[in-house]
Amino acid sequence: MSDDEQLNPVRLWREWFVKSEKAWSQAMTDMMGDERFSKGMGRYMQEALHSHRMFSESMAQYLANLNLPSRQDVLDVSDRLGQVEDALASVQVELRELRMRLAQGVAPASPQAGVAKPARTKRPPEPV
Amino acid sequence: MATKRAPKSTPKHQPPPPALGLTREEIDQRVKKTIERTLARNIPGLNVPTPELDLEVGQTPKELVYTRDTLRLYHYRPVLDEIYRVPLLIVMSPVARGYILDLAPGQSLVEYLLLQGYDVYMADWAPPRREHSHLSLGSFVNEMLDGAVEHIRVESGEAELTLVGYCMGGMLSSLYTALHPHRGIKNLACFTTPINADGMVLYKQWAESKSFDIDRLVEELGIIPGDLINASIQALRPLQRSANQLQLLNNVDNDAFVKANLRFDRWAADQLPLPGELARDFVRDFLRGNHFISGDFPVGDKVVDLGKIRVPFLHVAAEYDHIVPTAASKDLIGLVGSSDKQEIVIKGGHVSLVAGGNAVYRLWPQLDRWLGARSV
Repeated sequence: MSDDEQLNPVRLWREWFVKSEKAWSQAMTDMMGDERFSKGMGRYMQEALHSHRMFSESMAQYLANLNLPSRQDVLDVSDRLGQVEDALASVQVELRELRMRLAQGVAPASPQAGVAKPARTKRPPEPV
Repeated sequence: MATKRAPKSTPKHQPPPPALGLTREEIDQRVKKTIERTLARNIPGLNVPTPELDLEVGQTPKELVYTRDTLRLYHYRPVLDEIYRVPLLIVMSPVARGYILDLAPGQSLVEYLLLQGYDVYMADWAPPRREHSHLSLGSFVNEMLDGAVEHIRVESGEAELTLVGYCMGGMLSSLYTALHPHRGIKNLACFTTPINADGMVLYKQWAESKSFDIDRLVEELGIIPGDLINASIQALRPLQRSANQLQLLNNVDNDAFVKANLRFDRWAADQLPLPGELARDFVRDFLRGNHFISGDFPVGDKVVDLGKIRVPFLHVAAEYDHIVPTAASKDLIGLVGSSDKQEIVIKGGHVSLVAGGNAVYRLWPQLDRWLGARSV
């Protein structure tokens, strides 16, 4: 690091922040571990869930009137896409097994039978 | 007295007057030096790739070999002609992406294990959808993990395998080994595995608060969003991310540092959502009930006592882990009933234990020494 960089006040502040971050974080975490904070967070979560439900229902109706997709519709599409991805993953697994069976010419009991595999004979190195 | 006015501009054939007493050559040198320094600072910065485009992670060649619900079982291609007899299954935490163990060449536990001659599989988890909200701890242990174990036994032709669990993956692995003693688990290794909820002070405080209604949360959301999980992890060290970003600025001319930092940052922000039932089990039976310690952890219709684990056991804890502090994991070694058991506490944090630059010299060789002798 050059002298110029060592005297850079912004850089010095950044280094101070990085070094003292753990102590500041601990102070904030201690505050969040307080009983009152926990109660407040629980209450906030309840209210957020309630507001979420109310807002979702009213918004869904509003969007339906405008002939626009709601979050629920987007989630439905996302779920369908996830199902397609699952199906693709299954096809990928079956293709792999089929490829291995074709490689050996007959249907084996194990999907990797007949395919060249490394020998399972390795021993750990002798201690020096 | 008449005075002679100075000319407004310097004639073209004459050099400009020296500024601050510097000669033309000295000014040229300073300009050149400034440009070179600016380029030296900025060119590496320009080379920094965008996380989405160029920061490839999980590059070690692998194949998807088995799927069930959100489980994705990958088999990494062996790189040696001779490997250890016992295959190794890494079980990831259901809230974390598996690529933390395969970040980049040279920064990958998976790659290291392959180079040491292990046959490596990984149980990774896909993001759950609403139809997966019913997946409980029992589903993860008795169905998905059991399916993965069975698949490996058939595919490898070996009746035995080693389980290596990271974080909550260690919980799943421990529960599976205790519940299924006849399924061929030969060795069990757990990294930073939460066992004693009393050691997770903040989460326990939140979970035990009467105003925290996990049942309502699960009922309303079905799937606990990854952002909520991420926020709860951030709460354990709220300023750490800001500090990391400032550190990134201080090292912006170091390409290797910047890339490694961005990879970690990407992983840290990439938390998986959690199926509601699994979250409910975690809060009820672990954070509130602390049933690992009482020896009666309920999984499905059975009760698990970790004392029933009799296989060789290794637990690795990180000294500066703020997510699973040693206070939350140190009881594991005492609870496990194995006679061949060992605990190692390594300097580092929750993530740097397995994937940081120091992991290469600290955890990985120790893990290899422990596993190698028990994988023949």
